[in-house]
Amino acid sequence: MKTSIEILTPKTLTEILGILSERQEILTLIAGGTDVITGLKQESKRFKDTEVLVDVNHVPELKEIKHMPEKITIGAAATFSEIYNNSIVSNELPILKKAVSTIGSMQIRNRATIAGNFVNNAPCADTVPALLVYNATIEIESMNSKRETYLQEFLQGPYKTQLKKDEVVTKINIPVPTKSFTGDFYKLGRRRAVAISRITLAVLMELKENKINKIRIASGSVTPIGTRFPELEIFAMENDVNDNLFKTLASRMGEEIIKITGLRWSSAYKLPVVQQMFYQLLKGIERRSL
Amino acid sequence: MAKKFSVVGKPVIREDGIDKVTGKAKFADDYKFNGMLHAVMLRIPCAHAKINSIDFSEIQNDESVFSIITNKDIPGTKKVGVIKNDQPVFCNEKVVTPGDVLGMIVGQSEEKLRSLVNKIKVDYSTLPLLTDPQKSLEPDAILIHPETKSNLIIHHPLRKGNVEKGFTESDHILEQTYTTQLIEHAYIEPEAVSAIPLGAGGIKIIGSIQNPFTTRRIVAAVVNLPLDKVQIIQAHLGGSFGGKDDTMCILAARAAVAALKTDHPVKIRYTREESILESYKRHPYILNYKVGFAKTGKIKAMRIDILADGGAYCSMSPFVTWRSVVQATGPYEIKNVHTDVRAVYTNNPYTGAMRGFGSPQPIFANESLMDEIALRLGMTPDEVRKINGLKEGSITATGQRLKNHDVNLLNVLSTAMKNTDFKKKWINNKKKESQLGELDLSQPVLKDSQYMNPDQLIKKGIGLAISYRGCSLGAEGIDAAAAYLSIQNDGSAYLLSGLAENGQGLRTTFSIVAAEVLGISHEQIFYLETDTSRVPDSGPTVASRATLMGGGAVKNAAEIILDRLISLIRKEWKLKKKDEIEFKENKIFVNKNKISTFPDLCKLAANRGVNLATIGWYKSPTVDWNEHTGQGDAYFTYVYGCHVAEVQVNLGTGEVYLDRITAVHDPGTVINKLGAEGQVYGGVTQGAGYGIIEEVTTDRGVIREQNFDQYLILTSKDIGEIKPIFIQGKEIFGPWGAKSLGEPTLELTAAAISNAVCNAVGKRFFNLPLNLEEIVLGKKLRPEEIKRGSLQ
Ligand SMILES: Cc1cc2nc3c(=O)[nH]c(=O)nc-3n(C[C@H](O)[C@H](O)[C@H](O)COP(=O)(O)OP(=O)(O)OC[C@H]3O[C@@H](n4cnc5c(N)ncnc54)[C@H](O)[C@@H]3O)c2cc1C
Repeated sequence: MKTSIEILTPKTLTEILGILSERQEILTLIAGGTDVITGLKQESKRFKDTEVLVDVNHVPELKEIKHMPEKITIGAAATFSEIYNNSIVSNELPILKKAVSTIGSMQIRNRATIAGNFVNNAPCADTVPALLVYNATIEIESMNSKRETYLQEFLQGPYKTQLKKDEVVTKINIPVPTKSFTGDFYKLGRRRAVAISRITLAVLMELKENKINKIRIASGSVTPIGTRFPELEIFAMENDVNDNLFKTLASRMGEEIIKITGLRWSSAYKLPVVQQMFYQLLKGIERRSL
Repeated sequence: MAKKFSVVGKPVIREDGIDKVTGKAKFADDYKFNGMLHAVMLRIPCAHAKINSIDFSEIQNDESVFSIITNKDIPGTKKVGVIKNDQPVFCNEKVVTPGDVLGMIVGQSEEKLRSLVNKIKVDYSTLPLLTDPQKSLEPDAILIHPETKSNLIIHHPLRKGNVEKGFTESDHILEQTYTTQLIEHAYIEPEAVSAIPLGAGGIKIIGSIQNPFTTRRIVAAVVNLPLDKVQIIQAHLGGSFGGKDDTMCILAARAAVAALKTDHPVKIRYTREESILESYKRHPYILNYKVGFAKTGKIKAMRIDILADGGAYCSMSPFVTWRSVVQATGPYEIKNVHTDVRAVYTNNPYTGAMRGFGSPQPIFANESLMDEIALRLGMTPDEVRKINGLKEGSITATGQRLKNHDVNLLNVLSTAMKNTDFKKKWINNKKKESQLGELDLSQPVLKDSQYMNPDQLIKKGIGLAISYRGCSLGAEGIDAAAAYLSIQNDGSAYLLSGLAENGQGLRTTFSIVAAEVLGISHEQIFYLETDTSRVPDSGPTVASRATLMGGGAVKNAAEIILDRLISLIRKEWKLKKKDEIEFKENKIFVNKNKISTFPDLCKLAANRGVNLATIGWYKSPTVDWNEHTGQGDAYFTYVYGCHVAEVQVNLGTGEVYLDRITAVHDPGTVINKLGAEGQVYGGVTQGAGYGIIEEVTTDRGVIREQNFDQYLILTSKDIGEIKPIFIQGKEIFGPWGAKSLGEPTLELTAAAISNAVCNAVGKRFFNLPLNLEEIVLGKKLRPEEIKRGSLQ
């Protein structure tokens, strides 16, 4: 581990952006530090040039959770505990709330932040599938630019995103789901707390007269990064909701995953289980919405 | 239990509890000394290699390096061991497992040393690896320690009756193979030790040491000093579970060598990775059982063949496997038994003592087997156990007749069943066939028929396991313990025993014992720091022997002092023979009338020149053992236990949810109810982890899970209710008949869970742990590479 590291604690967003405008090679943003600190300790190559940590925790606007007319905005540095205990999230974003509740332990949730989760972009980042089915977009700022992008586009590969060295994620925007949406989140780990997920699944759907009007499906830990299943979603649309459809969807998910990852050491276990549990998840949603 | 106790059996909060949870207790790494240096280990990432040369030139002139320590600096014995001296303190010729240490660099900054140690150039030639214990006795097997001429560490045979005859008399024969895995103790505190040179006074060691007297013996041999010049002090210990024995002896010896060479205090402290890499583990076993039984359920004969992977060093293997040979049939009276238990050397991490000590493995096998017999005969699990279970006067597999204590095996069994409504649940849950779908790996996409009805996804099961366990060391060796008690003239007291506080709550237990005898409060007793220079050698704190042996010594010490006080009272108050003296609530009563208080009496004793300090002693009765036949009175007494596991199994994922574990134990008399319950909560949780999740895997002998991100133990969320129930059987030994509990609480859980899983899913599992892949696929899956993607 590095023998010394400097930590900067800017108090405003402008200050952060100012700091990021130079010396970028040696700077790393830190929020909860639950990935950064462990990465430094384990001498992850990702942080080999890091000499200065820029702490984003002291900027109040990065922590706000707000209900706007069309969207819900979550500050990038909101912790999982803050998100879990927030009434807007409880009322409007139950899938995100459930995903958040499965993360690490109380201590981790008290520190770890939502942006840290997807900027780190581990295959097993548990909020990613939930944010993907909510069609989340993220706002990114640098000294000279401000942009908004779909999370899906932002995530590029395992531990890789579009984030540039001078940029910071400021907020996550989620279009308010209409009340007709229903869905669920599922996580499988080797134990019930402090568990790296083996499989995560998120589904959001809208039923109309027993047909699927809209559906969004995402998974984590079974593909290189959390991902949506657009072909599956298209296939499902307009279909009658019945047991056969769910079985077909689950098996098609199996096929898609094989297409993306090929067969790996873990496939013997994960492939049958992800199909089975996706089917179970759909059945559960169906039962609850009857 | 004729006597009515005042403190014994009540729930008492442990005396070190508050200090531990408020951070005041000093653990080994909290000690710092003037001029203290650190030592950092040199290792090579290889399990078997010949060392050609070590080149220190690049670091030896670095100002951070105060001294370089190698094999040449050892004044005394260069190889050590708790039983056999086969483990080099520093490996100068070859390494036989990746934890091996070649030398150390010593200096002020541990951080600098850690960055320098990689610059030492070790020239080595790799040697062929032996990692499969089943190959280690083949004629052309490479030898781990060529001087021993064979990889056999120990062979324990046991021969009773005639098994062949027993098999021919049987209506059914069952033959099964079971395997159990390598696991880590996972104590919360990694190893730490400091050695302080005392000039003519020798050396003082303070560390996270489980067995101070064993450590003293080994350090003395290595630094070539008499025992009285080696003082070992135990710091508050952050868990051990049998794990801070050999490793700590060798670390203490290394620190001592460096301290004497540099004439500075030297500290060694391990990172979690080093701790997992170097410390010994629980033995993986391969267990073959053949059992013959009659239609009635009566077992006629059992043939058992067990192979234990001892890893690179002997360590405790001979004793661990000895307990296995004694208890391998389980708690059943079987006329014909033929058992062979062998431990062998391999290049794997070495294995030694761990809570349970050679019992969890055979219990998993024999209790699975008992359920198989029951299923084969259409009986319930209790029926077949009642037919064969040990009772008063039964003869064990070693030919020992059980007597002089309540043989409560069937009592714990029926109590556990009653408390869980076992029979009804077991029959309701029982499955005629396996509920787990067969997966065809060449067809990874599921067919419609493979999707499960959500109402059928989760299956309930209940299972039980029973055991008997020999208390204390048995025929392993001399078994005696001492306790020092000194009453002050205000009625307060110092207490110290030669056994160590390893987190089990021994200080509190012993204080209760002394308080009960003297009719005072346990809070009046101050338990001293464990220090080998203050109290006689009492053997190791192992084998669940502390309450029984050390408690016996404390009681003896308290009774000696009580006798002296009684003589004093009789003289001072001129009492007659028939006058009854009672010590109660810190007061003294004669014929129920208060005559004095305990503090006043102590003051009087001081004024009269009465000696109120003494050493109590407790020696076990003799046991005997014939090592050729495996026959003899192996232990002087036994305890009995039964665990019932209630689980749910997710057929889709293979998750085993532990809803409730009911743990019924006969530990003899319970001294501290809270301490006893704590043992059950901890032991059951560890045992459950062994059952469903824990496993150290190795790649060419190198441990892959070197921290708790990858080595998973259960969390409090992974286990439901744990229900301890005590049946306090009569016993003539120990303080008021208090015996053993620590290890029995762990040894049964995995077996009970496995039987419950079988009850739930209609399929038996033979290989621990019953993790996700084992349940769904019937096998373990091993990634080729477990390095985190996050590190790339
Ligand atoms: C014991 C333990 C258990 C865990 N369990 C889980 C789990 O169950 N599920 C799970 O998904 N994860 C888990 N994690 C991983 C981790 O907690 C999460 O990924 C968490 O969301 C990271 O957030 P953080 O605020 O701690 O990020 P940090 O470590 O501070 O940062 C992570 C990355 O994000 C960048 N970053 C942070 N904030 C911003 C910003 N505003 N803009 C741009 N870049 C930013 C940092 O530069 C860094 O690259 C666990 C970690 C530990 C140590």
